[in-house]
Amino acid sequence: MSPRMAVPTEMGSVTDNPFWIVWSDGHRSHYSWQRLRIACPCARCKGEWDQRPAPLTERDIPATIRAMSLTRVGAYALRFSWMGGHDTGLYPFPLLRHELCECDECAARRAAAGPR
Amino acid sequence: MPGRSDGLTREQVLDALKDVQDPELHRSIVELDMVKDVVIGDGRVKVDALLTISGCPLRETIVESIKAKVAALPGVRAVDVHLGVMSQEQRQALIGKLRGGETAFKGPGSFLGPDSPTRVIAVASGKGGVGKSTVTVNVAAALAHLGHTVGVLDADVYGFSIPKMLGVHGRPTLIDQMIIPLERDGIRVISMGFLLPDEDQAVIWRGPLLHKTLTTFIGEVHWGADLEYLLIDLPPGTGDVSLSIAQTLPQSHMLLVTTPQEAAAQVARRAAKMAEKVNMEVVGVVENMSYFQATPSGAPVYIFGQGGGAKLARELDVPLLGEIPLDQSVREGGDAGRPIVIAHPDAPAARAFRAVAEQLRSAVPVPARA
Repeated sequence: MSPRMAVPTEMGSVTDNPFWIVWSDGHRSHYSWQRLRIACPCARCKGEWDQRPAPLTERDIPATIRAMSLTRVGAYALRFSWMGGHDTGLYPFPLLRHELCECDECAARRAAAGPR
Repeated sequence: MPGRSDGLTREQVLDALKDVQDPELHRSIVELDMVKDVVIGDGRVKVDALLTISGCPLRETIVESIKAKVAALPGVRAVDVHLGVMSQEQRQALIGKLRGGETAFKGPGSFLGPDSPTRVIAVASGKGGVGKSTVTVNVAAALAHLGHTVGVLDADVYGFSIPKMLGVHGRPTLIDQMIIPLERDGIRVISMGFLLPDEDQAVIWRGPLLHKTLTTFIGEVHWGADLEYLLIDLPPGTGDVSLSIAQTLPQSHMLLVTTPQEAAAQVARRAAKMAEKVNMEVVGVVENMSYFQATPSGAPVYIFGQGGGAKLARELDVPLLGEIPLDQSVREGGDAGRPIVIAHPDAPAARAFRAVAEQLRSAVPVPARA
């Protein structure tokens, strides 16, 4: 088996801003609520098959957006219920840990890798 | 010893009754507040006990256990047992107790909590027809034989076969919304088959109903806080049911079943891919129908090819937990409701299943009991 994925050992609540997660690999991540919502991986936001809606941007999501609740899904993801009721996105831990983390180190790593 | 019963106290009787368990709930009837009154006089002891529901199928068992325990006390000449039925409030209090008091937000299934002592093992194959259910019931029986408390959740909602293979039939008792699993050979079992008017009915449902059924099986079945292993017999494939399981359980392991055939091993690999995505640890591979030996000394015949299980295990870097020979008595055991591990414990297939169970419990040990 490939090494197990990092999982949250501790995390903030919906009242924290920014939202934060401490991972089992020791890394500490933080996230702005707006960017988390923009990154929603659900089929309605990201599309599927031949349905490809225009990607969400800061213009679509107010900077004041917040999650009303969050739950763990099985052993692999988080689900946020956003203001307005949207809650179909499951955020797998690898997405949160490696692609959405906004800490300086991760932001620099992604910038160096260039746009994909 | 006549006269001694006058010295008998209510506490002594209650103490003796502590060892009487409700046969379905697996908890002491004293602890569950099922003993309402004890009257002692002149060598006679009268015990008033409350059943959860009026049609309790095991009422005679409870009466006999109470009588036996009390009669063993010094000076007791006769025991009368009167059974009543709990009120709605008393049942709610009992359910609260079974669910562990204030932790109701986690749901009643104790393994929904991250610190649960129950080890959940999902038995998956990818491909159908490789013997997942056969492996599930035999490994369950072998784990029970090793002294573990074991449950089997038949998640194959459309193609359930666990009731027949374990020889368990009937309807689970319902205490309000709590479902008490049926039990056979020390294995607690829940299956769609118990909820249908008869086992020949077909289940023709779409995804959302499947999801509801599984969350009910996981969350509203009283598996018991003492459950050590819960084996989940998954349907073939990586569809709705497997996803529901992955999304509902905070921790579970996967046991992969394949035949030696390349086509089966390749589909099993996809089930392992899914396990990786949902962060389930694959604990090992069981190769079923590995070979056939017409006589104990005869040369093995590799009907489905050779080495598929070992290759899959190597690729996934997990142990090959066993190679189960094709044996007519495995099939017969399944059809008769007596797993070969129980019916013919010395058969080569039974020994192979026991070896799987032993490795499984080493790989996924239950925490030491407090």
